[in-house]
Amino acid sequence: MVAELIESEDLKNIVTSPETNPAASKIMLTARDVVVSYGGVAAVDGVSFEVRAGEALGLIGPNGAGKSSMLAALGGQAKVGKGSIVLDGHEISHLAAYKRARLGLVRTFQTTSEFSDMTTFENLVTAGNGYLGARLSSVVFHHRLNSKADKQIAVRAWEMLERFDMTEKANTYGRELSGGQRRLVEIMRCLMASPKVLLLDEPMVGVAPHLVEKLVGDLKSIRDEGIAIVIVEHALEVVRALSDKVVVMSFGKKIADATYDEIVHDQAVQDAYLG
Amino acid sequence: MGAWEFYITTLVVYFAIDVLSAFSLNLQFGFGGIINLSFIVFQAIGAYVAAAVTLGPDTGQNAFQTYIWGASLPFPLPLVLATVAGAALSLVVGLFGLRRMRKDYQAAVLLIVSLIAWEVAKSDVHLFNGSNGVTGIGRPLGTTLPLSSLGYQWVYVVWTLAICIAVYALVRWLSSSPWGRALRAMRDQEDATISLGINVTALRLQVFVIGGAIAGLSGGLLVEYIGAWSPGAWGYAETFVVFTAMFVGGIRNYKGVILGTLLVPIIFLELPRFLPPIGYPGLIDSVEWIVIGLMWMGSLYWRPQGLLPEKRNMVFPGEFGSVTGGGSKAGFSLASLLRKGQG
Amino acid sequence: MFTTLISAIAFGVVLASVIAIASMGFTIQFGLTNMLNLSYGGVMTASAFVAYLLVSHGVSAWYGLIVGGLAGSLMTLVLGRFVLRPYARRGAKLFEMMMVTLGLALVLDYGLQALSHDNIYQFTVLQSSPIHLGPIVITPTQVILAGLGLVVFVGLELLLRLTRIGKALRATAAEPTLARSCGIRTGRVVIVTWLLSGFLCGLAGVVYIINSQSVGYSTGELFLPLVIAAALLGGAGSPKGAVVSALLMGIVTQVVAAFGQPAYSTVAGFAVLVIVLLARPGVVAGSQGAEAQVTL
Repeated sequence: MVAELIESEDLKNIVTSPETNPAASKIMLTARDVVVSYGGVAAVDGVSFEVRAGEALGLIGPNGAGKSSMLAALGGQAKVGKGSIVLDGHEISHLAAYKRARLGLVRTFQTTSEFSDMTTFENLVTAGNGYLGARLSSVVFHHRLNSKADKQIAVRAWEMLERFDMTEKANTYGRELSGGQRRLVEIMRCLMASPKVLLLDEPMVGVAPHLVEKLVGDLKSIRDEGIAIVIVEHALEVVRALSDKVVVMSFGKKIADATYDEIVHDQAVQDAYLG
Repeated sequence: MGAWEFYITTLVVYFAIDVLSAFSLNLQFGFGGIINLSFIVFQAIGAYVAAAVTLGPDTGQNAFQTYIWGASLPFPLPLVLATVAGAALSLVVGLFGLRRMRKDYQAAVLLIVSLIAWEVAKSDVHLFNGSNGVTGIGRPLGTTLPLSSLGYQWVYVVWTLAICIAVYALVRWLSSSPWGRALRAMRDQEDATISLGINVTALRLQVFVIGGAIAGLSGGLLVEYIGAWSPGAWGYAETFVVFTAMFVGGIRNYKGVILGTLLVPIIFLELPRFLPPIGYPGLIDSVEWIVIGLMWMGSLYWRPQGLLPEKRNMVFPGEFGSVTGGGSKAGFSLASLLRKGQG
Repeated sequence: MFTTLISAIAFGVVLASVIAIASMGFTIQFGLTNMLNLSYGGVMTASAFVAYLLVSHGVSAWYGLIVGGLAGSLMTLVLGRFVLRPYARRGAKLFEMMMVTLGLALVLDYGLQALSHDNIYQFTVLQSSPIHLGPIVITPTQVILAGLGLVVFVGLELLLRLTRIGKALRATAAEPTLARSCGIRTGRVVIVTWLLSGFLCGLAGVVYIINSQSVGYSTGELFLPLVIAAALLGGAGSPKGAVVSALLMGIVTQVVAAFGQPAYSTVAGFAVLVIVLLARPGVVAGSQGAEAQVTL
């Protein structure tokens, strides 16, 4: 049904083509010497890395290493003390979180953040409307324009539900979903916002073990579409399956930056984990 | 018979004004999640401004009352200015009071704004005549319309109901728009909403100002009807009545909000008029407030969703194809795609 | 001018003692439960009325202080156990708890209004001839009230620092989950907190009416913003902070009253709370959506 809709003229332009990605080697996100301090204590102390389009970077390390703070610095939830963050050519380290999102940097949160009083479908269209559609001025003054955009958003939202096998849950409230489904709603919602970079904060927490594999597969397909992913995750098998490279943090500093197979044999990393 | 007709029409006017108040809070709290405990202040400023621009310039000869901004503007300008005043004061309060902070702290700030405004209006005679308030405000077109006082009652009933319906159309349209959806998102998950690129600071201020405008309008309508306004009419606790009506009826469900307004400020607070006097004078008032408090607590405990809970916005796959694929290109909106379903 | 200022400061110190007693009670409760309990003012007034009834039946006002405190303890415990805790058990969020206590405040206040027939009663006990200290004219009772604030502060600090239950209370306030897993019986700690903060609340109510010489149903509600401001300004759970900020609040409001309109002293007190709420660092919600939880 949706496939037929896509054939129609005005919808062609909004369908992204997943196959080849010419920008696969383009650097999407660069962090350089990023410092985040809380009350004089540096939670992140001079961490640098870069992520390319279509690449997933795993951010791992023992508890309290500063992974979540690093993610917060990227997303704009924590203040960047020193250093720079560049998103697709834009310096964003001092930009408000919502402005970073407008430039294509979208994130999930450690505790699931689906809109619990909205249905799955509404969750998706909220993201699809984006900041332009949700503006009071565009609601009031650009009514005709919006009605066209609304149609595209509805089609995309339904496609998204079909892609992730969630059409049956279209009318289910966020609060009625299982942990894994909530994660999925969060991720679908991020995708509705057409991100360039996706930050995932422990996406497997609360997901039933037998669904983890499916979710990893979904994340892989997102990555292969050309979206850059930064993932913080305790479950190392997930990091291994997904990440093209891994950054290891300990006490706020980066102690390793290599592929997964290389870092598991790294003495410094083993020391950090064994403490 | 005439007395009854007079009483019933008065109740209908009050009802329409209370519904306006509830619409305002429903937008601010129900959709936007702002616990606006200073709601009554915005109604009060609307009432005061409408009064002052109706009463005529304060010449100083009317020694029994003093007020600022005196003018005698023709209908409907006092109402327009009341609306603008509500919006303007909301903007001022919102700019400092709606910063990102703990929700309970924010509610406390707004509660205290209500207390401060009340104390200032009560003590400063030069603003709006202090605790005695302003009085003798003429009804709009009261002298031009060739009507009996009962006939005028009915005209005012139609007038307030018409405004009420217009505001209903406005808030309903706004709350089902993408803007309304962003409000609901913000109320639930602020960080995630920001992460979708939405400027929640602006969003919160917008809904606060729109709600404030409606509150100002309701105050203007009220004062033009009753002809007097004083601090006794807008104690901070009046805000709780509107909240309780909303809790009892059903937050975010417009039918519920209207039902709650009928039940709480109209039926519950009017019934005691028909009771024989009990105890010392004023006892019934105290007991009413106690029951308002108990209803407020009870609705928070038992049925936070109210008598008529919010309906689910359903999308149906079958219709989905026909609506989006169909020829009706310009008329499409998500609001028309999403149907109200059960609970 | 200078004389007015000095005596305003002296009255400010007396008022500060009343604020301090109340906000020490508020701050240990707030430090533990994380909840803005707006029914605190209602309990204050109710305790003051209990003391008023006793004194009007010929009991000494000094016993009135004790009994008022005990009445505050009892009411706070009963309300905490049987009204507030059921909401917390249902997973009410902090702002919902605040709204519940607001409803409770409404019930208490108007209940007192009904019981007191909406009258203001004179409470002119312990009044004796004023003494002159340079430019300051002050009654011995006021000196005693100021001293009482100090005594309560020292007593509370000793209790919190030296006794087992005091240490358990501080630990639970700082890290409820950790305290529970360390074997501290948090349920018992909460009960002790209700009793202790309730006692201070009731005591403050009686001290307040001894100082102001009258009691009415809205006595506590109008005073509550000052109390909350002092507690928040001083930092949750810190009696020392509460005392220091109570001094500030007391002096500010009395100086405003002496130099401006008396009505604006209340407004000044309210304004301080607004500023404290808006400006105090650390009141912003956690960026990860991790809001503080209710402990009850």
